Amino acid sequence: MSLAVEAVDVVKVFGEIRALDGLSFSVKLGEIFGLIGPNGAGKTTALRIASTLLLPTSGTVKIFDLDVVHKAAEIRKVIAYLPEEAGAYRNLSGWEYLEFMARFNSKNKSEIHEMVKEAAHISGLGERLKDKAKTYSKGMKRRLLVARALMTKPKLAILDEPGSGLDVLHAYHVREIIKRYVKEQGVTVLLSSHNMLEVEYLCDQVALLNKGEVVAKGEPQELKEKFESVNLEEVFAKVVGLA
Amino acid sequence: MLKGFVNILVKEIKELVRDPKILLGMIIVPLIMFPVLGTLMSYSIQSAREQAEKATIVVVNNDRGNWSEFFTEYLNSSMKVSVINNTNLDSDTVLKLLSDYNTTQLIEIPNGFSANITEYKNGNTKINATVNFYGVFSGGGIFQEVGSAIIDNLVNNVNREIAPNAVYTFKSTIIKGEIQKNVDPSTLSTLMLSQAIAMPITIMVLLTYSMSIAATSVAMEKEEKTLETLLTLPMDRFAILMGKLSGSILVAAVGAVAYMVGFNYYMGSFTSSIGATLDLVSLGLVPSVFGYLLLGISLFVTLLSALALAVIMSAFSEDVRGAQSLVGNITPIIIIPALVLMYVDVNALPLAIKILMYALPFSHPIIAAKAVTMGDYLTVIFGIVYVAIFTLVIMYAASRLFATEKILTAKLKFRWLRKRTKKPHEEELQ
Repeated sequence: MSLAVEAVDVVKVFGEIRALDGLSFSVKLGEIFGLIGPNGAGKTTALRIASTLLLPTSGTVKIFDLDVVHKAAEIRKVIAYLPEEAGAYRNLSGWEYLEFMARFNSKNKSEIHEMVKEAAHISGLGERLKDKAKTYSKGMKRRLLVARALMTKPKLAILDEPGSGLDVLHAYHVREIIKRYVKEQGVTVLLSSHNMLEVEYLCDQVALLNKGEVVAKGEPQELKEKFESVNLEEVFAKVVGLA
Repeated sequence: MLKGFVNILVKEIKELVRDPKILLGMIIVPLIMFPVLGTLMSYSIQSAREQAEKATIVVVNNDRGNWSEFFTEYLNSSMKVSVINNTNLDSDTVLKLLSDYNTTQLIEIPNGFSANITEYKNGNTKINATVNFYGVFSGGGIFQEVGSAIIDNLVNNVNREIAPNAVYTFKSTIIKGEIQKNVDPSTLSTLMLSQAIAMPITIMVLLTYSMSIAATSVAMEKEEKTLETLLTLPMDRFAILMGKLSGSILVAAVGAVAYMVGFNYYMGSFTSSIGATLDLVSLGLVPSVFGYLLLGISLFVTLLSALALAVIMSAFSEDVRGAQSLVGNITPIIIIPALVLMYVDVNALPLAIKILMYALPFSHPIIAAKAVTMGDYLTVIFGIVYVAIFTLVIMYAASRLFATEKILTAKLKFRWLRKRTKKPHEEELQ
């Protein structure tokens, strides 16, 4: 097993909207893989299928060789999903929220405590973890949630727009967390972003999505050279014929 | 004029009118609800009144004098009268006669009635002619009051013909098969009616408030996307639903207990304040412990059904505001039975409306509150079973919804509200 994610010819239809239209990509073990593209390209739908929230209309998606349709319960044991612009429970403290989430992964009290300590370290929120989540800024909330997703040491972390809406400093902090954690723990990451500069810094491999299909994929450097562009934004513009 | 006011106003109107949920909840529902409610109420009250007026009254004439004949004829001109002569009336005979003639009202004209009137007319105003009225009390409502009021009216008219205050009515009420002397069915009905108004209002508030809490709880999870996170965790999805419902059940249970304590206090306050004239405890019109227990269960299962319905409905909305609007749309099926049953006893309703009341799960605790007072436990148990089955069906549907992606993708579509012709530039954009 050398692939963490394998999506083949995936189609997802919502009523009259074809959100994914023959999407194919694969993510190797220990890799940070970015799905990039404009709003409405199908990034979130692809991540939701990979995280067993949605079912593909046709095509197959396998996570560590487990089919998302038939082996969803087993997949949920090895993944962690971070939705875009998600919140925490407003009236729980950061610490209580982390404990609540950790209890789904272990019944052992010391293991739960270890996970929460790990999340406290990852988030860097310190004493503020004792405060209720409703008092957190957007950046603090995002750091808490990224820490929650990584504290269980999942085999695959699926992160939807991890740096969405964050200021420069918080976005930098979140990127550093992800990069460091992958290196230290060997976690595979599948993320989405419409911030192509962020992706360029973070990802080993990227797939450019437009209208529900992959229009280009490869290493960021490789794509820039191939399309003679200075950054991935320019690559994207050239691929979809805007430049 | 305030600068910018018109511009803001036009924008607000456009936003509100184009939101199908607001259009449905604020305009269409009230437009339908109030005419339906009005029709139901007037039809029910009219029907109850007609029934009362058509009802037979048994007259036991133990006097056989001129004035008793006059009195009987007078009654006969206004309502259906069955006259029985010379029957000694004890409690059992009264009950048997009412049962034999299938009626709820009986008047006895005692021996000496005509002689007393003659005395009275001759100037001895210390002597009254008395008639004894017996009315069966069957749980308050307009029907009972109308029956008693008609008798009062007739006696007044008789007095006008003969002499002022010549005839006096001694009233007794039959409660659960026992004759309670000197208890006016009309006063009792009025007293029970005032209680009948408080119960539906409390139940209405409790139901709408709990539904709002449950809907907000689910919608908040959707809005904050914490539900998405939960659905990807290694856990049973049914546990999310059961956890939500159990939390709401606790709220409902506390609500039901608080209601019962309040209701008990309310009943107690009536008993003590009117104790001098009517003691509800000695009349047997305060629910027994078993009655309270059944009422509590009835309220609990109804709250549970409302909560399950709120959970399933809020799954079709994307945020708290949407969930509140959706749940608000079912308020009429809580308000209509509450208002109808507030004024009219369910048994006095026309058959079609009676079936409708029994079919609506939210009317059952209101029916139960009256039924336990009258010791009619079977009706309450039927209601509990019916609402429990309704709740199970709703919970099964909710569990199916949580098991699939529909919990995230389900939306109520209001296409029929959005049908309009596309403008040329909109077609170009597609």
